[in-house]
Amino acid sequence: MDATDVAAAIARARQGDSEAFQSLVERHSRRAFQLAYRITGNEQDAEDVVQESFIRAYRQLSRFEARAHFSTWLHRIVANCSVDLIRSRRVRYEHASTDDLGPAEQPESGGADPERLAASAQIERKVSAAMSELSPLERAAFTLRHYEGRSIAEIGKTLGLGTSATKHSVFRAVRKLRAALEPLRGES
Amino acid sequence: MSKHYSEEDLVLYYYEDGPRRAEVQQHLDACEPCTVAYRELTATLKSVTAPEAPERGDQYGLEVWQRIRHRLPEQEMPWWSVWLRADRLALAGAFSVLLVAAFVAGRWWSAGTVPAPAVASVAPAPAAPGAAGDDGRRRILLTSVADHLDRSERVLTDIMNTTGASDISTEQGWAEDLINTSRLYRQDAADAGEQSVALVLEELERSLLEIVHTPSRATAARLDEIRRRIDAASLLFKVRVLGSELRQRQTQGQDAPRPRALSTHIS
Repeated sequence: MDATDVAAAIARARQGDSEAFQSLVERHSRRAFQLAYRITGNEQDAEDVVQESFIRAYRQLSRFEARAHFSTWLHRIVANCSVDLIRSRRVRYEHASTDDLGPAEQPESGGADPERLAASAQIERKVSAAMSELSPLERAAFTLRHYEGRSIAEIGKTLGLGTSATKHSVFRAVRKLRAALEPLRGES
Repeated sequence: MSKHYSEEDLVLYYYEDGPRRAEVQQHLDACEPCTVAYRELTATLKSVTAPEAPERGDQYGLEVWQRIRHRLPEQEMPWWSVWLRADRLALAGAFSVLLVAAFVAGRWWSAGTVPAPAVASVAPAPAAPGAAGDDGRRRILLTSVADHLDRSERVLTDIMNTTGASDISTEQGWAEDLINTSRLYRQDAADAGEQSVALVLEELERSLLEIVHTPSRATAARLDEIRRRIDAASLLFKVRVLGSELRQRQTQGQDAPRPRALSTHIS
């Protein structure tokens, strides 16, 4: 599906053509899930975010302008939905035990150095625990900067923050992560 | 030796977001404490790798669709789609036929009653002194207005595409620049007898002013209000149509007679 097809699908979806919107959902779901998972750090939450994002996108489709990229627009919606969801489930995040850290609990593949894998898993658990301590905006800003490689300006635009607030969200996140990983540095 | 860089400076440097990268690099080459601090920061950040998202198969998009399809709200139809309803299209068609018939009848009637040299109906009246200069000025004005409309369209489009509460300080900066220019062009257009151009510019000015006078961290409700007004005035549509009409007039240039005013369907 090239840019012209996307534009055509959007135009038809705006007229209420659900099949056209279906093609957009099918095309963008996996990328939306990946971003939502990186921000929320939880598979089920990421699923909820993906669904809510597409519903929001559909509701706001009449406001989407053809000159913009649908993927960029959807990316913003997914990031903001993720922030909203983390806020609404803050209590759960605050009390999450390290037994429920998702990616760190993935079975390790065989063949690699067991000590290195153990150290790597320990870092992942620490990072995951530290990430859950970040505020929703710090978490989203850090994810977009560190994992997604977005610029400060783009992150600010996505999250509705000014440049200074965006930078400070990233700084605070980095500081908290460093503090969490500091003990491991002594061990290595 | 200049002062040491803060952790924030080094974070920005790491992410290639900070200004004066060459300066920081030079400092790091010469300053041991900053080099150590940067090395530690880098080691930490490099150990933070993206969590691997659980795999989703090729059918995932379809699964998502199946889950949301019955939860989709009624699509908010854009304002212009109201005119695409079959009954209204039929009405518009009938009206167009009447309009064409009236035009043809008018031409035929005036040709029969007021005989005029054939050349008079297609050629402009003999140029008055300075008429060529006026046309030149008008062409420059129309080109400038068309460019101005393009820039304004981008600002309006950005505002229409914002979601939720947003920082619109960038758009406000652009809008502020455009307002002053818009006023000048509106005055020039009115002086040149381009009333429909002046009218659209006046409406545009109002929206740009509203954008400028909104707090930079605009709430979702406030942005919704601005968008509704832009929508209600069909401003984005008018700006586009007028822009393309002006460009068309430029390309037609001397070949086609210049209409005295823009079509009224957008005013």
